[in-house]
Amino acid sequence: MRSDAARADRNRSRVTTITLYALLVVLSLPFLYPTLWMFFSSFKPANEIFVQPPALLPREWTLDGFAQVFTAQPFLQQYGNSMYIAAIVTVSSILLSAMAGYAFARIRFPLRNAAFTLMLAAMMVPTEVTIIPIFTAVNAMGLNDTHWPLIILPIFGPTSVVSVFIYRQHFLSFPKEYEEAARLDGVSRAGVFFRIALPLAKPAIAAVGIMAFLRSFNMYFEALIFLRTPENFTLGLAITRYQDFYGEQMWNTQLGAASLTVVPILVVFLIAQKQFVQGLAQTGIKG
Amino acid sequence: MSSRRPRPGGNGWLGVAFVAPQVLGVIVLGVVPFIFVIWYSFNEWRPLTGEMEFIGLDNYYRLVADPTFSASIIASLLFSAGVLVLNLVIAISLAVLLNRRMKGITGFRTIFFSPVVVSVVAWSVTWGFLLAPDGGINGALAILGIDGPNWLADPSTALISLVVVQVFKGVGMNMVLFLAALQSVPEEIREAAHLDGAGPWRSFRSITVPMIAPTILLTGILTTIGSLEVFAPVQLLTGGGPGDTTNVLPFFLYRTAFISQQFGYASAIGVVLFAIILALTMLQWTTRRRWVHDEV
Amino acid sequence: MSPKEYFMRATRSRGAAIALTGVLAVSLSACGGGGDSSASGPVDLKMALWSSNEDHLALLQEIGDAYTAEHGDEVASITFEPVTNPDYIAGLTTQIAGGDVPDLAWIPEASGPEFVDAGILHDVRDTLEGVDGYDLDDILPAALEPWQDDDGGVYAYPFSNSPFALYVNQDLLAAAGQPDVTTLVGTPEYTWATITDVAAATNGATGAAGLNVPTFTTTNWSAVTMLGNAWGAAPWSEDGATCEFASPEMVDYLTWYQDQIARGAIPAVSGNAAPAAFASGDVAFSVAQLSQSGSLDDSFEWSFLPLPAGPDGYHPIVGQAGVSVLERSEHQEQAAGFLAYLTNPANAELLSQFFPPPRASLLNVETLSQAAPKLTPEEIQTAIIDVVPEAQVKPQHPVLSQFTDKVRAGLDPVWAGGDVETAVTGICEQISPTLEG
Repeated sequence: MRSDAARADRNRSRVTTITLYALLVVLSLPFLYPTLWMFFSSFKPANEIFVQPPALLPREWTLDGFAQVFTAQPFLQQYGNSMYIAAIVTVSSILLSAMAGYAFARIRFPLRNAAFTLMLAAMMVPTEVTIIPIFTAVNAMGLNDTHWPLIILPIFGPTSVVSVFIYRQHFLSFPKEYEEAARLDGVSRAGVFFRIALPLAKPAIAAVGIMAFLRSFNMYFEALIFLRTPENFTLGLAITRYQDFYGEQMWNTQLGAASLTVVPILVVFLIAQKQFVQGLAQTGIKG
Repeated sequence: MSSRRPRPGGNGWLGVAFVAPQVLGVIVLGVVPFIFVIWYSFNEWRPLTGEMEFIGLDNYYRLVADPTFSASIIASLLFSAGVLVLNLVIAISLAVLLNRRMKGITGFRTIFFSPVVVSVVAWSVTWGFLLAPDGGINGALAILGIDGPNWLADPSTALISLVVVQVFKGVGMNMVLFLAALQSVPEEIREAAHLDGAGPWRSFRSITVPMIAPTILLTGILTTIGSLEVFAPVQLLTGGGPGDTTNVLPFFLYRTAFISQQFGYASAIGVVLFAIILALTMLQWTTRRRWVHDEV
Repeated sequence: MSPKEYFMRATRSRGAAIALTGVLAVSLSACGGGGDSSASGPVDLKMALWSSNEDHLALLQEIGDAYTAEHGDEVASITFEPVTNPDYIAGLTTQIAGGDVPDLAWIPEASGPEFVDAGILHDVRDTLEGVDGYDLDDILPAALEPWQDDDGGVYAYPFSNSPFALYVNQDLLAAAGQPDVTTLVGTPEYTWATITDVAAATNGATGAAGLNVPTFTTTNWSAVTMLGNAWGAAPWSEDGATCEFASPEMVDYLTWYQDQIARGAIPAVSGNAAPAAFASGDVAFSVAQLSQSGSLDDSFEWSFLPLPAGPDGYHPIVGQAGVSVLERSEHQEQAAGFLAYLTNPANAELLSQFFPPPRASLLNVETLSQAAPKLTPEEIQTAIIDVVPEAQVKPQHPVLSQFTDKVRAGLDPVWAGGDVETAVTGICEQISPTLEG
């Protein structure tokens, strides 16, 4: 009797497990398929892109799509642009937001609550709203068609508030005992932050770093407004510009370029995904 | 999170110095430009000729009478509502599904998260091919004997297509946040509920949801703000069409400012966009006490 | 000691050079910002252009260098800057609006009237007329007209005056068992009806696109509405004040276009994506300009034909690009001088390597063969030389940018098979107040 019940239980749980796997596989499709399709289609000749019935894999493998990626535009330079901008944004955000987040969590100073409320309120002012005055200011400073706006805006602008918030949540739950011990040893406030609190904030650093990198890497609107010469383009803008000299679309080249922008980051993500996801999981947004 | 009070006697100057870069940044790049936007919205301003003339509220009167504007507000609100609901429902469902020890669960988590690291332009461009009349999605439907619509050109499917593109791109991020929140729900509480005879749905509603409510609130607000800022998928996939069904406010603003060269009128759109973001955020924030017990 | 000698001696030491630069800067700013730029020595000119083609750039640079070599006292250097914002004109106007004004710019015809109207372009008539041998009268009146104002001012040289033509993929037609349409040219049978029949049949047989306009996106709707002139349809009246989208001719044309989509002769519109490129080999017919032939190789056999006739007969269309001096340039005189040089008969001939010239004297098979070496002399004669003198420029409007999105929104239902009458009536309701100004 008991073993029957146990078997039934086990059977039921096996059915549940199989159903669950099947469900997860189906749910995976819209997440996985577009990226796979993009990747494999960049190996298709242009006239296979819309072939019916649709096929994930090319019938005829070709590197045509990649041949013009580097000749139609200075793609390597554009890649470099995106990477160095993202690197500056990431590193600066990690440090500057940490300082602000720590101060908001741990240091009492005048107008602290007012300043924090202001930060939160500023999250509601996206660049789209303020693009006209920012555009005129950038022009007045002669910074049009430079990378400055793409560096300054994500580091200091309203989109950076999330990073400050993540750090603040993290430092709020940072054990005070560590700090107090250090203070008793004569370490200054700033020293406590730089030598103890920040090094121990790895999950928050990971989360902020990832978010800042993605924010910079996904920056399209600002690039569209401020950049105009191909040598200065970032990748997002570059992908949209794969047309021949007469305005006709170069589909396979565009897909080739898109794959080249996506695959390396995807690989990095796959390798580091544990830290990646855990870092995000510990953002403090979990309440 | 027992105490959020700062230690008395902290060095005030250090705090000011620490927050200065970000606070000043937000003032200089957010608050001040916004004041300028309000001022510009009272002017007629053609940047091409540099002529600027104070016209009071005329831009706002014009907005009210402009059918494109009302269509644009509707597009933005529908898009935002669609993204918010779909994103949270999918994110929470995936998190619940993945919140168990099972072989390969990490692999699935990776798959669901992967679009987050794909650039928004590459993602949009790819979906543009898939959603074409003879693209992959209709091709797949044809195999099932279904004659798929022209997703991006049909007024009844264009907006929902954009919602789907936006949701699948970003839902992985929220899923991870919910997964973390779920993992902080003590197992004993759920077991206790199970022993008390609560079914999975009941236990989800009366135990899990209240525990993850703060996460729902925060991801909800961030997702709402993000969806009201949508630009790249609209520009790359529909150009605001068909009609004005996907002409969301940021895109309408961009075209008005940089194609029609009407900076004053575009500024008025910007003010309205801010007002909508403010209203929706406030709505979620002020109603939080009804359903979020744990103070965020 | 002459100033030049003094300068050369002074600059031998770095310290002196820095001091001198400082003095120069001070004295320049004392001159009140150098409003009289000709007095302050040779200037650096900047020209914004749409093309980033290396061959185009190399030719322009060559002409520019020749000019600076000859006129080094006026112009020190000329740089050519491609503005490759996804929307060139948005990029250019944004640049101008931002105060970063190039001295010269490549202006697409659609923006011509708007720029002339807004006073952004500089009148170069006197400069051009003052140059010996420039021969302004050589420029086809139809080509120059869009760039003139009522007082005869000339605001651009339409360096590219390129007729739209019909590219035919012969291999695809043969594969679909369709007849050779090139033999029809010049006969009454050479009509849009015939061509779209073949297009639909080819689409049915091969799955390839039948007929497309590769530059057509819903935001660039004029690429398709322009073809309505073969139906006698125009989007607005000649004076631009009356909306004519709802005219019976335009309704006929758009209804016809819809039918072609429905029967597969023309591919369906997907969002605002552009259709397949002719060069992909997967398109039977493509409406495009001469320059597109540059992107074609020998991978399939193709022909270049004039546009077919419609119910209202045969109406050739040209697309233009002009080169202008900008009113807000600080060096108008020098820029106008260079414009006159860039577009004089000798250099115009060089430019016609890439761009079909607006000069009557250059409209011959020899010159145009350079522009399109892949075309046969017959194709050049029938699809360009015979066509250009009478061709109309694509419809333009001085405030187009203010209502183009309204038309885009209004036409979207047409592409998706909606009711044409309702759509065009709606468009006129929307844009009439703007047109009437």
